[in-house]
Amino acid sequence: MNALKNSILVCLITFGYFATAHAILPIEKLDSFKGSKGYLVQTKALPMVDIEVSIDAGDRFDPSGKSGLADMVAGLMNYGVKGDQGILSEAQIADEIADLGANISLSVSGERAILRIRSLSRKDLRDRAVKLAAAMLSLPTYEAKIVEREKQRIITNLLEAETKPEFVLERRFTKSIYGNYPLGNTPTVKSVAAVSAKDLIQFHQQFYRSDRMIVSIVGDVDRAQANEIVQTLLQMIPQSGNPIAKLPELQRSPVEPLGQREIQIPFDSQQAHIAMGMTAVTRSNPDYFPLLVGNYVLGGGGFVSRLMAEVREKRGLAYSVSSYFAPGKDTGIFKAGLQTKSDQAAMALEVMSSTIAKFITDGPTPSELLAAKSNLINGYPLRIDNNRKLLDNVSSIAWNDLPLDTMEIWTKQVEAVTLEQVSAAFQKYLAMDRMKIVVLGAQNK
Amino acid sequence: MRSNLLRICFLFLLCTPLSWAASGDSADTHESLLSNGLKLIVREDHRAPTVAHMVWYRAGSMDEVNGRTGVAHVLEHMMFKGTHKVKSGEFSRLVAAVGGRENAFTSRDYTAYFQQVEKSKLDEVIKLEADRMSNLNFDDAEFLKEIQVVMEERRLRTEDNPGSLLNESLMATAYISSPYRHPVVGWMNDLQNMKADDARDWYRSWYAPNNATVVISGDVNPQQILKVVEKYYGAVAMKELPVRKPQIEPPQKGIKQVQVRAPADSAQLAMAWKVPRLEPGKLDDPEPYALELLTAVLDGYDNARLNRTLVKQEKVVNDVGVSYDMISRGPELFLISVSAAKGKTVAQAQASIRNALEDLKKKGILESELKRIKVRILSDQIYKRDSIFGQAMEIGTTEMVGFSWKDIDYILEKMQTITPAQVQAVAKKYLVDEGLTIAVLDPQARKSEASKEGK
Repeated sequence: MNALKNSILVCLITFGYFATAHAILPIEKLDSFKGSKGYLVQTKALPMVDIEVSIDAGDRFDPSGKSGLADMVAGLMNYGVKGDQGILSEAQIADEIADLGANISLSVSGERAILRIRSLSRKDLRDRAVKLAAAMLSLPTYEAKIVEREKQRIITNLLEAETKPEFVLERRFTKSIYGNYPLGNTPTVKSVAAVSAKDLIQFHQQFYRSDRMIVSIVGDVDRAQANEIVQTLLQMIPQSGNPIAKLPELQRSPVEPLGQREIQIPFDSQQAHIAMGMTAVTRSNPDYFPLLVGNYVLGGGGFVSRLMAEVREKRGLAYSVSSYFAPGKDTGIFKAGLQTKSDQAAMALEVMSSTIAKFITDGPTPSELLAAKSNLINGYPLRIDNNRKLLDNVSSIAWNDLPLDTMEIWTKQVEAVTLEQVSAAFQKYLAMDRMKIVVLGAQNK
Repeated sequence: MRSNLLRICFLFLLCTPLSWAASGDSADTHESLLSNGLKLIVREDHRAPTVAHMVWYRAGSMDEVNGRTGVAHVLEHMMFKGTHKVKSGEFSRLVAAVGGRENAFTSRDYTAYFQQVEKSKLDEVIKLEADRMSNLNFDDAEFLKEIQVVMEERRLRTEDNPGSLLNESLMATAYISSPYRHPVVGWMNDLQNMKADDARDWYRSWYAPNNATVVISGDVNPQQILKVVEKYYGAVAMKELPVRKPQIEPPQKGIKQVQVRAPADSAQLAMAWKVPRLEPGKLDDPEPYALELLTAVLDGYDNARLNRTLVKQEKVVNDVGVSYDMISRGPELFLISVSAAKGKTVAQAQASIRNALEDLKKKGILESELKRIKVRILSDQIYKRDSIFGQAMEIGTTEMVGFSWKDIDYILEKMQTITPAQVQAVAKKYLVDEGLTIAVLDPQARKSEASKEGK
C-alpha cells in the first residue's frame, strides 16, 4: 500500500476494458557510476530488495571452438573469490549466502550474463550480500582444480542432455537459424573440454567491466541507498579495457527450397518434437507491438490461440503447442513448436504450418484482434504485481534501451495496434519460404 | 575468516525471529464456512491491484481405484469442456477476455483450479468457476479428443523422460497397498481404456462445495467478496461424499529394489525411506520437523553436506537432491536421488551416501548448520509474501492435507525449536534398511542416435 502511495505517476487507462485507474510505479535513473547504468523502483511494503546486474557478456561472445565459455565465466563466479580480506573459498561463499538468508543466482543468455541478489533490506544483511556479490563480479579466482571439476560436471550433463529429444531438437534448430552467427554454436563436449582456467580469467577481464554493466534494483531502498549499492557492486571492477570486436550482423533467414530448410532427425522416442521458425526483430523495433498482439492470436494466447485450437482442441494431436517472438537488444527469432506421437508427426507439422501460413496471409479477424488486446490490456497489472516481476520489467527496459515510461504507456501501445499493422508486420518479418523446420523422431507410416 | 561476524549476525537474526517473519498474516486472513459446506479463505494483500482465485477439491489420484488411475487428472482436463451454460472452450475464452491467467493442476492429494486477474474482474471468474462446480456437461466426442491430449502429456512427461520413469517405478515399489503407488497421470493402459463416464462418475462423486475450499488472495475487501462467493458458490448444493478407505500401507520389512532401463547416459540412483509425516492435531510431534531440517542440512544450500562431500570432494555424483514433504494426505518418503559422475557406479554413489549418513548418525550435526537452515526458513517467510499467487498456494496446499492456514505460523515457529540432537535422532531412527526402497536407472543407448553430432 505504501508502495502505491509513494508513486507519483498515475496512469489513466483509456481503453474501454478498464474500470479503475491505478498507479504504475516509476523507474528512477540512478547516478551514473564508472560508465555503468543504474535503475530503481522503490517498493516499501516488504522488507526486502532484489538487485540485478546485467553484464554484456552473453554466449554470443564465446570464441570459436569454446562454446560454453561465457556460461562458465558467470556460473563459476561463486566458486572462489579474492575478497578484501584474502581468498574466500566456495564453501565460505555458500555458507555466507545461507547465513544472510540471501539468494544469489547466476545465469547466462545469448545476449547477457545476469547476477541476481535477493536479500532482506535490513542494512547489515544487505550490505554483506552486496559486498559478497561485488567480490564475485570483480574478483573470481577460477581456480584450475575447480574449473576442471566443473568442466567434467558440465560434460556429464551434456552427454545426458544429448539423449533427450528436446535438447537435440533445440541444438539443431539453433544451428539452423543462427548458422555461422556466434549463437549458432551451442556448447558441446568438445568445446567445453577445450576451455581452460586461463580462458575464463581472460574472458572475465575482457568483458566484465563496469561500462558493460547495468544494475536494476527493486524493493525497500531509497535512492541514496540504491546509489550506494551500485557503487559497492562496481567499485573494484575496471571501467573499461581493450576494444571488443563488433559482432557480425545476424542475417535474415533466406528464401530456400523446402529440402534445404527442413531437417529430419531420426530419433527413437515415443514422441516426435517439431520446431519451426526464423529470424525476426529487436525489442525496440516499432513493430514489436503489432507482432506481440498478433502472436497472441496465433500461438501466444495459452488455451485460446489458433495453434492450440487447431492442434490440440480440434485434433488432440499435442499436449502443448505454442509460438513466440524472442526479441532482444539484437535481432531475435520467431519460433513455434509442438510434440506429438511419433507416427503423427507429418500430420501435426502440416496443421502447424498451414495455421501459421494462413495467419501470415490473412492476419487476425477483427474479433480475434479485440480479444487479444482485451487480454493483454486487462492482464497488464499481472505483469507488474510483485517485486520479482517489476525487476524483470526494469531489467528488460534497461537492457533494451527502452523509454523509462515503458510500463506506463504499454497498454496504450497495445490499444493502438490495428488489424492492418498486424498483417503488415507478419508479412514483413515472417515468410513460409524462409522458415527453418526441424523434425526429430518422426516415424512415417 | 569472518566467523565472528557471522556468529553475531545469526544471533541477532534468531533473537528477533517471528516478530518480523510472521507479522500480519492472521489479521489479513479471513475464513468463512458457507451453509453448503464450502470453505472460503481470503488473504488480503493490497500491494497491487490483482487477485488470485483458486478452488481446491480434496480429490486427487489417491482417491482413485484400480483400472481408473489418472481419472482425477483427466477430469481436470474435461473441466474446460463446457457446462450447461458455457460452451466447450468458452471458459478459457472468457477468462482470457478479462486479461486473466488460468490453469489447473492435479496431485496425489487434491485437484485445484485457478485464475489470476485484475481485481475488478474477480466476480466474473468466481461466477464461471462456481458454474463448473455443479454444471459440467461435456460430450463423448470432446472426451475422445482430450484423452488423446492426456496420453500425449504422459508421453511427454513420463514415457520419454527416464527420470519420471524411475520415479514411477520407485513409488510403485515402495508402496504395496497405498494408492500413492499409482502415478498422478495414470498408467497408459488405464488411459487407453478410460471412458467418458469414468470422468463423469468422478465429477459426480467428488465435485461438491462440501469437498472444496476457495482461496482468494490479493487486493480484495473480505466482506464484499464473501457476499459474491455466497451468491455464486452458495447456490451449489451439498452432496454426500463417497467413503474414503484409509488404505494404510503395511509396515515394510526390509530393502526393496527396482531397476529401470531407459535411454539415458548417466546412471541414476534413488534411495527412499519410509518416514512419518506431520499429522493434523499432533502439531507438537518433533519428528517431522526434524526430518524437514535434516533435508536442508543434507541439501538445503550449495555447501550443504551431500553437495559438499559427494559432488565437490569425492566427485562420485554429478548432482544430488533430497526431498521430504512433512505435510501430505498419504504416506511420506525421505528421498535422496543422485546421478552418477562419469566413470562412477551407482554402487559407489550408494556407498558414499551411506557413509555421509553414517557420519551424521554417529557425530550428529553442528549447531551452526542448523542455525543456518533456520535463518533461511525465516527469510523465506518474507520472500514468499512477494507473490500473491504463492500465498494462495500455501494456504490451499495446507488446507487440503487436513491442516488449517492458522497452523502455518505455528509450524514455522515449531521448526525453530528443533535441536541438533533431534535431527540426529530421526536420522538414526528412520534412515535404516528396514524401510528403504532403492531404484536404479540403468542407462541404455538409443537405437537410432543422431544426437552425437556436433561434437
